Amino acid sequence: MTTSLADHLRALPDESLAALLQLRPDLVVPVPADVSALALRAQSRVSVARALDGLDQFTLQILDAARLTRGPDGATSTDQILATATAGPHPPAPTAVRAAVDRLRARFLLYGPEHDLTVVGGVDEVSPYPAGLGRPAAELDTRAAALCADPAKLRRALLAAPPSARAVLDRLAAGPPVGTVAPGALEAPATGGEDVLPPDLVNGGAPTGSPIRWLVEHHLLVRMSGGPHGTVELPREVGLVLRRDTGPLGPLRTSPPEVSAPPRETKAVDSAGAGQTMEVVRHTEALLEALVVEPAPVLRSGGVGVRDLRRLARVLGLDEPTTALIFEVAYAAGLTGELELTGAATTRYGGDQQIAPTGGYEVWRAASLAQRWEQLARAWLAMTRQVGLVGQRDDRDRPISVLSPEAERAGAPAARRAVLAVLADLPAATAPTPDEVLALLEWRAPRRARGRETAHRDVLAEAARLGVTGLGALTSYGRLLLAELADADERGDDPLGLRSDAESGDPSTAVRALDGLLPAPVDHVLVQADLSVVVPGPPDPALAAELDVVAEHESAGGASVHRVTTASIRRALDAGYTADDLHALFRRRSRTPVPQGLTYLVDDVARKHGGLRVGSAGGYVRSDDEALLTEVQADRRLESLAFRRLAPTVLVTPYQVNRMLLALRDAGYAPVPEDATGATVLSRPKNRRAPARTPLTGRAVDPLATPRLPMPRLLGVVEQIRRGEAAARAARRAPAVVRGGPAVTGPTAVPGHGDALAVLQQAVRDKARVWVGYVDAHGATASRLVRPVSIGAGYLRAEDDRTEMLHTFALHRITAAVLEE
Amino acid sequence: MSGGPLIVQSDKTLLLEIDHPDAQACRMAIAPFAELERSPEHVHTYRLTPLGLWNARAAGHDAEGVVDSLIKYSRYPVPHGLLVDVAETMDRYGRLQLANDPVHGLVLRALDRVVLIEVAKSKKLAGMLGAKLDDDTIAVHPSERGRLKQALLKLGWPAEDLAGYVDGEAHPIELAESGSDGGRPWTLRSYQREAVEAFWAGGSGVVVLPCGAGKTLVGAAAMAEAKATTLILVTNTVAGRQWKRELIARTSLTEEEIGEYSGERKEIRPVTIATYQVLTSRRGGAFTHLDLFGARDWGLVVYDEVHLLPAPIFRFTADLQARRRLGLTATLVREDGREGDVFSLIGPKRYDAPWKDIEQQGWIAPAECTEVRVTLTDAERLAYATAEAEERYRMAATARTKLPVVRALVERHPQEQVLVIGGFLDQLHQLGEYLDAPIVQGSTTNKERERLFDAFRSGEIRTLVISKVGNFSIDLPEAAVAIQVSGTFGSRQEEAQRLGRVLRPKADGRQAHFYTVVSRDTIDTEYAAHRQRFLAEQGYAYTIVDADDVLGPKLPTVD
Repeated sequence: MTTSLADHLRALPDESLAALLQLRPDLVVPVPADVSALALRAQSRVSVARALDGLDQFTLQILDAARLTRGPDGATSTDQILATATAGPHPPAPTAVRAAVDRLRARFLLYGPEHDLTVVGGVDEVSPYPAGLGRPAAELDTRAAALCADPAKLRRALLAAPPSARAVLDRLAAGPPVGTVAPGALEAPATGGEDVLPPDLVNGGAPTGSPIRWLVEHHLLVRMSGGPHGTVELPREVGLVLRRDTGPLGPLRTSPPEVSAPPRETKAVDSAGAGQTMEVVRHTEALLEALVVEPAPVLRSGGVGVRDLRRLARVLGLDEPTTALIFEVAYAAGLTGELELTGAATTRYGGDQQIAPTGGYEVWRAASLAQRWEQLARAWLAMTRQVGLVGQRDDRDRPISVLSPEAERAGAPAARRAVLAVLADLPAATAPTPDEVLALLEWRAPRRARGRETAHRDVLAEAARLGVTGLGALTSYGRLLLAELADADERGDDPLGLRSDAESGDPSTAVRALDGLLPAPVDHVLVQADLSVVVPGPPDPALAAELDVVAEHESAGGASVHRVTTASIRRALDAGYTADDLHALFRRRSRTPVPQGLTYLVDDVARKHGGLRVGSAGGYVRSDDEALLTEVQADRRLESLAFRRLAPTVLVTPYQVNRMLLALRDAGYAPVPEDATGATVLSRPKNRRAPARTPLTGRAVDPLATPRLPMPRLLGVVEQIRRGEAAARAARRAPAVVRGGPAVTGPTAVPGHGDALAVLQQAVRDKARVWVGYVDAHGATASRLVRPVSIGAGYLRAEDDRTEMLHTFALHRITAAVLEE
Repeated sequence: MSGGPLIVQSDKTLLLEIDHPDAQACRMAIAPFAELERSPEHVHTYRLTPLGLWNARAAGHDAEGVVDSLIKYSRYPVPHGLLVDVAETMDRYGRLQLANDPVHGLVLRALDRVVLIEVAKSKKLAGMLGAKLDDDTIAVHPSERGRLKQALLKLGWPAEDLAGYVDGEAHPIELAESGSDGGRPWTLRSYQREAVEAFWAGGSGVVVLPCGAGKTLVGAAAMAEAKATTLILVTNTVAGRQWKRELIARTSLTEEEIGEYSGERKEIRPVTIATYQVLTSRRGGAFTHLDLFGARDWGLVVYDEVHLLPAPIFRFTADLQARRRLGLTATLVREDGREGDVFSLIGPKRYDAPWKDIEQQGWIAPAECTEVRVTLTDAERLAYATAEAEERYRMAATARTKLPVVRALVERHPQEQVLVIGGFLDQLHQLGEYLDAPIVQGSTTNKERERLFDAFRSGEIRTLVISKVGNFSIDLPEAAVAIQVSGTFGSRQEEAQRLGRVLRPKADGRQAHFYTVVSRDTIDTEYAAHRQRFLAEQGYAYTIVDADDVLGPKLPTVD
């Protein structure tokens, strides 16, 4: 077959080959060496899967039809496909089927002339069950094949199926045709256990057991040998019979599902979206300003902790998911970046990096609203992050944090483009529900949409939050932005189009469209008697800067409300405005007469502003004699002290007191220094002294006399010695048996005595040392470590090694004897 | 861009530029769901609150309509997120309903089963809900109706109260618009009519009208609408007498039908006027006069000056949910921040009109507000500077320097009736002596009080010094000048009430004057600024003048 595809490709004119490569660009990475290599690759599992990914549901179904109609030689024809596709109760238009066949042929998933079409090999590997139908019964099981060969019998068997079994059949017939069976479901009930089964009332009273078992026994399902639990497969013929109502391919949809939502007004959609873009830009700016004040530390595991996210959400007045989205987009747009911390700054938890605004933020801030939004939107479209995962838990049940690697999804940009493409292909201002969007995606590329429903829903929510969509429909400027991106893709050289924009400096069409929707900046305010200042629109930067200084921010949005307070006026005065400047500012900026209250407030605060002055000085000179101070200040010899007159009676100098004192005295004045409380510091000359020492005089000791120790100390020494002795003795203690105890007293002592004698006799022979326990003449028990010498006449004679004395023990008094260990 | 008059802010405030040609239409459109927060001269601020949105739902507006009017009048694009939020908030209303079940009585019924499960599990509702009747219905004891509504509101699932009201004991009451009692014929003013209609349609709620705009008449008209026995709760006895006079003059009620329930008299008649004080008086820890609420089958309960409603009355009110309740006030600003309780227990705000609008229609006198700043003498400044923190306000507010200024102000208006209002008794006595004017204070007997007020009304006395007791509900028709010398710290509603003293329309349409004398550079000024905030937000612009300009002849100005 391979050779035939290769031959087929070889025979193609260059244009057709190029068209194939355009449709399946993955075939040329890397460029195949020759046509057979190309053919091999075109039939490989991976390449076929990629080609199938891009196909819509209907085309895939037609491909299934082609596979079903293959003859034993593996060939089919357009007519056969057409016959199968139109076999159902709602047959699609033959032109649609032909168009689908052409699409498949153009991709060389089918090849060959119309009457002899071949399906490339890879398809069967990629999806083993065409149209969700099982293999023909002949391939599965002979008895099943026998049943299927007799249509009447097959129909009867199906009609006889109990309802529970019928439900199983219907499930499998809808595809996929393979089911896993619970362990034991296929076993016959234990012998005698039939009675245990409940009678099946619907099916004539006989107990049937598991429906699967019934089906397998009747050969409607075939048990597959492989698999741990056992699987069953529905033979193709049975499936086809069951699909009588829908046609062999299942329900066919030649065109994408309809969107039921009534179209909205384009203006309303654009307006809602534009309002959202203003919000997003404003929130982004607020987030970045919050990061300027306190950068967010990067966790060791990557990302920003949930605590910081919560803090930022609070600052922004948003919920955490939205904050996370804005954070991620701002990062993707290059507005924030990691700031390396050095040295001691790493006292906080986490790593030694912080997220802080970058230099790009300054550039971004200077741009127009629409341009700022565009930068954010492009970053969002391109970023490989699935922000919806933030706040959820990963496989190891750890929370996924903002900017963390766990939320990285390479497929995210493709998912965004796919969802937005669905919206873009609808008529303008159509607002489909999320479910409808998902259904559309499912139809357009079923193989791609499967399993990505959450990601696609996330995209819709994010698009709404970012103002790409408004009221659920794609906005006009959003459409333009997508078109620009598509153009850039066509050109291919600059996938994001950032470079061309930055170079040309011209705003893109999307920016221009959005600009038209956004309010123009205003340069005037409305000042009211309650001291509120309303900017009826976005303020131009100069006005915003002025208002930041002179008024408190109260409410933001399309317009902004500020309030002039005592504190804000004071701040303005501190920033260098004078009262006249402020009056002029309000007069210039206000479109309404400035209320008298405001004028009064400014004057009032200005009057009090600076009523107290604070400064520092090195020292002061004060005197009740003003004339004297005048003289000091005028004295040219003291010029170097740079005196300044604070009051008629006070001079200050930046220099230290001692220097001033000397200079004044040198100049012939008689200053007296004061301390902090105003008391005079007396300067009687002081003699310098070393620190006090203890004299030796009181200690006349005869160096030769022996030191006499007092009695208590001696007793202490003695006690210490005795304690040492006792300890040493304790270390040489006799074994417990010898020391006496319950075993030695009373009648039970006799066996101990007998043993002792034996031990002693042995010890005499071995000249070994023995612990001997005995009762002395006073009845007290004692023990001694001795070396027995002889036993005789009722006495033991033994030698004590330590004292080198010979002891004599009366044998009847010995209670025990133990060899020394 | 539509260039409309409305700017929607992301913090859910709406700015309405009133000089815009569409401003009036826009106000009509947003008034049902947005709360008027401030109305200074150029830009009015409305706020979208859950309460306001739910009120709108209760009045039959749907989210689509709200969103449409926002988009229609907005000058700038409205953020999509805000629109979604509005729709979602409004959707929460009415998922639960309080209804009368023919078998089980009062029940809580859910249109959304999940919500019912959620609230039934809430600890806050423990003990309020009875047996579960079926999956969607839970029995509620009638006595818990108020508390349940309060709690559900706090949970964010406000219930629609479909249980209705008892009619109460019927009693014929008509408005005497023809002037049958010998008075001039009169009619209800348009806004009064609207207020009554809004109240009646809503069942229960609060009507907010400026002082002097005829709130008593709104009460009377509501009674005429209810035609049932009525309990009227007022702040004090004098105010009660005032109500009585007004009711006799303006309705078909006769003196015998109106009872007074106060410290002095305990009459219970078809229409009974009781004071908050007597209801909240306790003997041995128990409220002794609570029986009044059950004394008759009241068809309507009127709360005068609802912003002063004492806490115990709230508790009693929770038990009165089956009766119609009308709250009247000039300012729904409560210094204790219990506006939410007023909303859930008495009812939502049913009618509100900016003061300046009513002034323009000529129903209240135009007033000029002036703040006179007095510079303290050095001795006074020194005393102030060294005073303890808690003494400071008294020191500043009662400075003797204010006395000549007050006299100069009184002399400025030789033809007018002047009220001097203060908060500190010592100061009032000083003023009384200085101005040679009688004083009304807490210890003045009711008889003496009424004598003085009558004399003032007739013009016998030109100047009257009153303490805090005069703050509320005394009707002094011809007072055209009020001079405020001290007050209760920074109380905004006190300021509004005091201004109200001079707002009753004058016979010849003269202007009213409201002076407030403050000591410069002291805490007095700060409090004054806080006090003025409410009125400034209502559109009253204070002019600030120096005491010297008041005292001396005007200095010749050089151009």
